Amino acid sequence: MTLHGRRLFRSAGAFAAVVALLFSLHSSSGHAAGVPPDVEILNASYDPTRELYRDVNAAFTKGYRERTGTSVTIRMSHGGSGKQARAVLDGLQADVVTLALAYDIDVLADRGLVKPGWQTRLPHNSTPYTSTIVFLVRPGNPKKILDWTDLARPGISVVTPNPKTSGGARWNYLAAWGAALKAGKKEAEARELVAGLFRNVAVLDTGARGSTTTFVQRGLGDVLLAWENEAHLALAETGKGRVEIVVPKTSILAEPPVSIVDAVVDRRGTRAVAEAYLRFLYSPEGQQLAAKHHYRPRVPEAAAKAGRAFPAVATFTVDDLFGGWRAAQKKHFDDGGIFDSFFVNR
Amino acid sequence: MSIEVRSVSKSFGSFLALDDVSLQVGDGEFVALLGPSGSGKTSLLRIIAGLEEPDRGTVHFHGEDATRRDARERRVGFVFQHYALFRRMSVFENVAFGLRVKPRAERPPETDVKRRVTELLKLVQLDWLGDRLPSELSGGQRQRVALARALAVEPKVLLLDEPFGSLDARVRQELRRWLRRLHDEIHLTSLFVTHDQEEALEVADRVVLLDRGRSSRTAPPRSSSRSPPPRSSSTFSAR
Amino acid sequence: MSAPRPREPLAVRLLLIGLAFAAIALFLVIPLAAVFVEAFRHGAGAWLAAVSEPDARHALKLTLLVAAIAVPVNAAFGLAAGWALGKFRFPGRNLVLTLIDLPFAVSPIVAGLVFVLAFGRSSLLGGWLAGHGIEVVFAVPGIVLATVFVTFPFVARELVPLMQSQGTDEEEAARVLGAGFFTTFLRVTLPNVKWALLYGIVLCTARAVGEFGAVSVVSGHIRGATNTLPLHVEALYNEYAFQGAFAAASLLTLVALAAMLAKAFLSRHAGEEAP
Ligand SMILES: Nc1ncnc2c1ncn2[C@@H]1O[C@H](COP(=O)(O)OP(=O)(O)O)[C@@H](O)[C@H]1O
Ligand SMILES: [Mg+2]
Repeated sequence: MTLHGRRLFRSAGAFAAVVALLFSLHSSSGHAAGVPPDVEILNASYDPTRELYRDVNAAFTKGYRERTGTSVTIRMSHGGSGKQARAVLDGLQADVVTLALAYDIDVLADRGLVKPGWQTRLPHNSTPYTSTIVFLVRPGNPKKILDWTDLARPGISVVTPNPKTSGGARWNYLAAWGAALKAGKKEAEARELVAGLFRNVAVLDTGARGSTTTFVQRGLGDVLLAWENEAHLALAETGKGRVEIVVPKTSILAEPPVSIVDAVVDRRGTRAVAEAYLRFLYSPEGQQLAAKHHYRPRVPEAAAKAGRAFPAVATFTVDDLFGGWRAAQKKHFDDGGIFDSFFVNR
Repeated sequence: MSIEVRSVSKSFGSFLALDDVSLQVGDGEFVALLGPSGSGKTSLLRIIAGLEEPDRGTVHFHGEDATRRDARERRVGFVFQHYALFRRMSVFENVAFGLRVKPRAERPPETDVKRRVTELLKLVQLDWLGDRLPSELSGGQRQRVALARALAVEPKVLLLDEPFGSLDARVRQELRRWLRRLHDEIHLTSLFVTHDQEEALEVADRVVLLDRGRSSRTAPPRSSSRSPPPRSSSTFSAR
Repeated sequence: MSAPRPREPLAVRLLLIGLAFAAIALFLVIPLAAVFVEAFRHGAGAWLAAVSEPDARHALKLTLLVAAIAVPVNAAFGLAAGWALGKFRFPGRNLVLTLIDLPFAVSPIVAGLVFVLAFGRSSLLGGWLAGHGIEVVFAVPGIVLATVFVTFPFVARELVPLMQSQGTDEEEAARVLGAGFFTTFLRVTLPNVKWALLYGIVLCTARAVGEFGAVSVVSGHIRGATNTLPLHVEALYNEYAFQGAFAAASLLTLVALAAMLAKAFLSRHAGEEAP
């Protein structure tokens, strides 16, 4: 049995060695290139921006190093917009947030993580690019889905994420509602249209990317309500002929805003880099990258430079029709709001 | 080394398992503790060995109070009712265990351990089974391994809890005669638990009766030709 | 209608066996094979590139690190629990027994949220820790905690009933023979449950490596920092990077297969330990 004891000691030793090794690997793996980064910042973003920020980060990092000699590593965290705001509230150390809608950053402002008036700190309501909501349909559009009213027709199966968890879904919802108002319908009729739409929802995913996967990969539903950029990405990824984009005549002007998180940048001393990073989004290069990824740039020339043509859509904003995000959130999406009534009645 | 139990009581919950039990085993004596199942025999043995603490009363070895002494330091040999052999160790390692776990200063060198274990296995006539696992032995063989293991640390006191309980009659008789011889040869003080009256009478110098937690009477065996003579004078009568 | 017929005609038997195999193929073999087919769709080179890409490597290392902490912690806990609960009776023992299984009963998302609640910035404790520059949630410590929580019962579950059925006889025998607590533990108790312990460790490791739900909640999904391998797979999948996702998934599948083989091997030995 001394043998046994010795063996135990030996395996304990081996185990300690493995742990030590892992720790050393772990600490040495902070930066892939081998050069330790001077600054590291974290961008907490929503789901469909993965591809956009991969390019933006590469371009910004390169330019910033050339200009200042500082090498920056930008870490990304992606998830549903509301979920990301929640994570930052709970302590996710994001230096900047690039979310799907202003309300999610307002929440951070309410808790003192972002300074009040954040939306005026950068041009265009702190929204460097915009998007709109379009339809993705099956090839040849067999169900003839052309406009918002078609979504509430009986027998149409709609895929959208859940407005409770997804910023994109709230845009979808308000787009449908607003389009009805813009078409001269009354509030009650708009409500009836949106109720009909959600009656037709086959699958309610938690995030925009999940819905896209449901529609494209799993082949469920007749129509997917999606960000314009997300629709184009799905189109590119799945190959032409599998899905088609339908742009409705009227839709919402979706303004996904960006902001630094003051509490985090002040603690970490990263304000300068974080601000430069967000400003880069407004630069010609940043605008061109946005356009390349099918976000509508604020500078119209950037679209042409990126070789993108955005079809004309008559857009309305949340401020125009819903009195801003706080009001829209309260009336439609908070617990006991109108959206809940659709599901209670279902 | 003499054993003395003075007015020991022990309850398990509300159940009084031992009620003011006193008992003496003289140096070199071989005493049988006889009683029906559930009468508290095992409990009493465990208290003597230090595996259980009495609620009241004291245990003395060689006149010294050992009630608070840890089981490890009492240096008693204990043969458990169900042997309690180390299932993952060979017969040899079972017997060697007590020697191997001695404090470094007292631990005999490996050659001595080998010699001693081989001797003991010879003594219990199992030297050819040293490599087997306990599960590969018969009941009687296991019993003898348990005994060899208890004797390895050269205890002055040997406690045996129904050592032959689960053996068939023939093996049983053989073993108890052999045990008696061993007791005399290596000068032990032995307390032997049984619920078999015949066995108690045949093997012991003296019989102590335990009934429902009370030690009632002690008696010399029927064939009291053996020495040393019993200390107690009360007579035994079959119930 | 005269001669008694065999109860299950050959055709029925064949049909049932065929169905069983079809079910196994449908639910196990085909999906598993699909993972490897997808992973190697563009050849071994592409697979190698996908698993050695920095984010994938980091995810792999993080996963191994987390397992290297969670598994020993839970093995130690499982042994302690097995020993205390298996060998002793004390008031509250049943409550503890029930509580050990709690992580199995609790949904992984709740398991994750518990830690966000306890250590998040908005909690008292989390606020204090943040004030001292210690990050728990959305950082490696949170992932370790969540994994420890989720894999908590595996070893204990194997050991408690076994140690209980083995009883304390051998420990008492060792004590009477002069062995101290640690000696007894190392030479008697531990060898007696060696295989069951390894078995529990294998299950625990498999889960620690594969855990998605709870870790997803506390991770923060920071690429190259707090993404474990399962989270990395999800992230890649969401980016339409299917080949990369399946290459990483193939690593997880290999771990699962290795665990299954180890399990099959160990369960044979663990059976011997029952008294
Ligand atoms: N650990 C224990 N817990 C509860 N009751 C016990 C315990 N040990 C013994 N007893 C009870 O004490 C009584 C005497 O037991 P024991 O000493 O084993 O008797 P014997 O060995 O004479 O058969 C029995 O009724 C038994 O149920
Ligand atoms: Mg008994």
